[in-house]
Amino acid sequence: MEPLDVELDETEVELPTEPMLVNVGPAHPAMHGTVRCVMELSGESIRRVDVQVGYLHRGFEKMCERGTWGQVFPYVDRCNYVSPMLNNVGFSLACEKMLGIEVPERCQWYRMALGELARISDHLTCDGAMAMELGAFTPFLWMVKARDMIWDLMEEETGARMTHSFGRVGGMAKPPTDQFKEHASAVVDQVERIVDEVQNLLYGNRIFLDRLDGVGIITQADAISLGWTGPCLRAAGIPYDVRRAHPYLKYAEVEFDIPVGKNSDCLDRFMVRIEEMRESAKIVRQCVERMPDTGPINVDDPRVVLPEKSQVYGTIEATIQHFKIVMEGLKLPAGEVYSYTEGGNGELGFYMVSDGSGTPYRVRIRPPSFLATAGLERVITDQMVADVVPCFGSLNMIGGECDR
Amino acid sequence: MPTFSLDGREIEFQPGDTVIAAAHRSGIDIPHYCWHPGLSVAANCRMCLVEVAPPPGRGAMMLDVLRYDEAKGQYVPAKKPKLQPACQLPVTPGLEIKSQTSEHVKEARASVQEMLLLNHPVDCPICDQAGECRLQDYWLEHNGKQKRMKDEIIHMPKAVDFGPTIVYDAERCIVCTRCVRFCEEVVGDPVLDKRERGNLGEIVLAPGRKLDHAYTLMTEHVCPVGALTAKDFRFKARVWFLRSVPSVCQGCATGCNAYTDFDPRNQTVFRHRPRDNQAVNKYWMCDEGVLDYQRVHKGRLLESKVRSQTVAISEAVKAAADEMRNFGQSSAIVLSAEHSSEDNFAVFELGRALGIDKVYVTGRASGQGDSILRDADKNANRAGAQLVTNGAAVGNAAALKTDIESGAVVQVLALGSQVETAELAQLLTKLSSLVVLCSHEGPLASAARVMLPASTWAEATGTFVNRGGLAQISEKAITPRGDSQPAWKLAMLLADQMGKSLPFKKGKDVKAAVSRFASTSAGAQA
Amino acid sequence: MAQALLELVRSNFSDAILSSHAQHGDETLVVKAERWFAVHQFLREDARADIDMLVDLTVVDYPDRLPRFEVVSHLLSLSKGHRLRVKTAVGDEEGDDAVAASLTGIWASANWMEREAYDMFGVKFSGHPDLRRILLYPEFEGHPLRKDYPADKIQPLVPFREVDNIEKLAPFGRDEGMSFGRQTHSWDAQSGDED
Repeated sequence: MEPLDVELDETEVELPTEPMLVNVGPAHPAMHGTVRCVMELSGESIRRVDVQVGYLHRGFEKMCERGTWGQVFPYVDRCNYVSPMLNNVGFSLACEKMLGIEVPERCQWYRMALGELARISDHLTCDGAMAMELGAFTPFLWMVKARDMIWDLMEEETGARMTHSFGRVGGMAKPPTDQFKEHASAVVDQVERIVDEVQNLLYGNRIFLDRLDGVGIITQADAISLGWTGPCLRAAGIPYDVRRAHPYLKYAEVEFDIPVGKNSDCLDRFMVRIEEMRESAKIVRQCVERMPDTGPINVDDPRVVLPEKSQVYGTIEATIQHFKIVMEGLKLPAGEVYSYTEGGNGELGFYMVSDGSGTPYRVRIRPPSFLATAGLERVITDQMVADVVPCFGSLNMIGGECDR
Repeated sequence: MPTFSLDGREIEFQPGDTVIAAAHRSGIDIPHYCWHPGLSVAANCRMCLVEVAPPPGRGAMMLDVLRYDEAKGQYVPAKKPKLQPACQLPVTPGLEIKSQTSEHVKEARASVQEMLLLNHPVDCPICDQAGECRLQDYWLEHNGKQKRMKDEIIHMPKAVDFGPTIVYDAERCIVCTRCVRFCEEVVGDPVLDKRERGNLGEIVLAPGRKLDHAYTLMTEHVCPVGALTAKDFRFKARVWFLRSVPSVCQGCATGCNAYTDFDPRNQTVFRHRPRDNQAVNKYWMCDEGVLDYQRVHKGRLLESKVRSQTVAISEAVKAAADEMRNFGQSSAIVLSAEHSSEDNFAVFELGRALGIDKVYVTGRASGQGDSILRDADKNANRAGAQLVTNGAAVGNAAALKTDIESGAVVQVLALGSQVETAELAQLLTKLSSLVVLCSHEGPLASAARVMLPASTWAEATGTFVNRGGLAQISEKAITPRGDSQPAWKLAMLLADQMGKSLPFKKGKDVKAAVSRFASTSAGAQA
Repeated sequence: MAQALLELVRSNFSDAILSSHAQHGDETLVVKAERWFAVHQFLREDARADIDMLVDLTVVDYPDRLPRFEVVSHLLSLSKGHRLRVKTAVGDEEGDDAVAASLTGIWASANWMEREAYDMFGVKFSGHPDLRRILLYPEFEGHPLRKDYPADKIQPLVPFREVDNIEKLAPFGRDEGMSFGRQTHSWDAQSGDED
């Protein structure tokens, strides 16, 4: 350190006045994976920010064009990797819309239950990470504990904790296990208890509220113009939920509320997710109650569904069925379709173009977190640097979905 | 033209057509196994059964059948109309046929498919037909259910050696007799026949004979299932990895239309299949032609040589230019009946730019021809090579031999790999200078001072004129192997090196120039 | 439900519409490229259409067709609940000259989605405030989602930017880097320079 210059007249020293360029680089604990924000700061407040995404771009849409329709499932899994079941369900529904088939009732309830469990785990991750970045480590650990219970259940059902690639066109890979109903109810009870505890801990904490309340406000008009959907849009006060507006599977037959925020700030986005977890738990309980215990999981169409392996090794017909579906790919009729479901972050859309063969011509994944991240600029401009953390956390940008 | 109604659509037909032939001509596929447009009608597979509307004023002919009633759990008597095989039913004006729109036809197709698979072995993983097998396609499209028989399948002889080219598997055979009819009708050699009946039916050879005529690989081509497989292609490649381009067979001057199947991942050509062309080869190709694809990979010269030392192509081009600087009055251009018109045109123009006016054409030696398809001239483009000179005098191999012997020709720029006679091959070594653009090992390559590797027909699009004067285009399948390039490109390199300009700069220009004199009065055809 | 919407657009833009269909229940309009902006603006401002959200904007490459690229936008009305797909075609067979009007003046969501369409396909949007690559790095060569871009193409290595006073060793020097797997350098044994 240089020695103090005692003869310096402080009034004559010029303080630097140009705005400072700070690079909150892609490798940063608060950047949720890999997002680079180049900020121009004037003191503490952000005058301009350039949000640069794409560090997790893996070229999924191009890769889908090189395989078959059934081989797209692992790719969509790894889009929103904290709620992979919702992606699987979304893509299967898109393919089934193109084929014009509907899965059996048992499968519909099963898909709903697994999807809502995935949504709960998505919100647990988002809120837990947000709390942790503000310094509240305990709620993060509690929420991760709850998430782990869900993942253990997923492992029992699908064989993998995350990215299970469990969905299939025309059904699911395997039927529910015998203990699914019992375990699902138990898990959902535990998770709700943990969510209550976390809310008690955080909602009464002055520091937490000060950091979130009134921070990162976005107007309704801006949110709609930015194409936001999901919890971010609902926190802005617009009760748009694909499950209610355009019901699919059995969502029209279950009861659940749509939490809507008032102030459209970070606290609202946080609380909307807390409430949504409770609503999802409600849905899971109703699904578990109403799901039939017997019946087929897959639709009975040899063009689409793989046969039993024991049959494949023994009979020529099953061999042919297996062969045609695996080698040539299940064929979707030529045409285009746009199918949308409520993903963890909003409207997860699949725009698919088929040329009639087993290879996809174009699979476009409409990523809700891509548009949420596009709004980050508007949200944090004129906020202080410290507010970037809760703002970005409340948007729930999932790198896999944003960049694909 | 008179029409008949098929599934509500009006289809044109010609007098003498059967329903399936008329539908095939209009591009509609009625599922079938044993019918083939080039063979007689057998009507033994029963897959093409269609429902015929009865003549006005009469009811349909109803048959008594037993149908399984789910509710009662037993077979109950029912009635269904008698269906007719579309391959045998002659079309008359006003005929009304229901194919896809009839429930009875759907049921019939599902049943026929079930029966054909009843004793079929679980061979898909090892069967070469997988990926282009009608049993697979039709099962998925028309049946989709498991068979009801729970017993072990009837076991029949497998991997029966039928001859030098074909292997037969009786378990996979559906005894459609396409192979039997082919050998008898198209080739005129009834060496195959059907034996036994029912589920013991199989195809056998005539006693003491082997399947050894000149078109045996066509039996594999007509076989709709994996019963007849070609020894040459067995277990080599899976068809869904192969891509096809339309090409022209290089085996002889008939110029049968073919498909070249290659694997784009490793750029290897795996087989030839015939392509329909009523004007040239109808539906068939001969064995020599089908196996001709091997020449893309066998005996190839892939690197340039200067006096049998391997060099880079740029070096070889320089050396060739040095050699050709002295070419003049006693030089000659030798074109190749094996190469495309584009290659020949480019070399001819190069010769003209160098002031060489003696032109000859050589090619492979003649072989056996017959009245079915094969031509004795085993070169694909003799007519084309002569046409590109646009009327200039072209000598043949005998003339070239005479001229070399007499000393009128001492320097040669040659295109091609083979010459017709062994004497001419000997004489080549007597030349004072020989620059060769060739693709295969042979007398021209061994005698050459400078040898530049040329691509074969499979590595460049080219025009080939057959014995009837028809110009046909063969498309590029794989990228040129090794250092080889299409001969017309090599000619351009040589011209550039020698400071001469040719009347073309790109492949498109060569093609355009060639198409101007690509054919005789028979007319050009793509 | 969106049949009424289709009729509404047809009556106002009859000259701009090339075709329409409703495959799988998705109402679709194909419009001329010059009217792209006008049709969208109408859909936004007309009270009967009331399209308040641009849900998706993307491109599909049809190299066998002319024009080659099809720009596809999906629209949603939150209040009325109807959806519409609007498409137009731009671009010649090489993929150049593919320009469509930018919708950033109408909806903010168009900004990033058009940047992605440019990045992946090379389709430019006139009037876009900041058209640069978004998912790929700026030195990337080519547009990967085009059908003629081979999926296993290896991009050239980007040289380090010149920075003063920082000693940086280039990775994969002569003795460094992988000797196995995907080779991104070719070491010519005779020459002394790196590739």
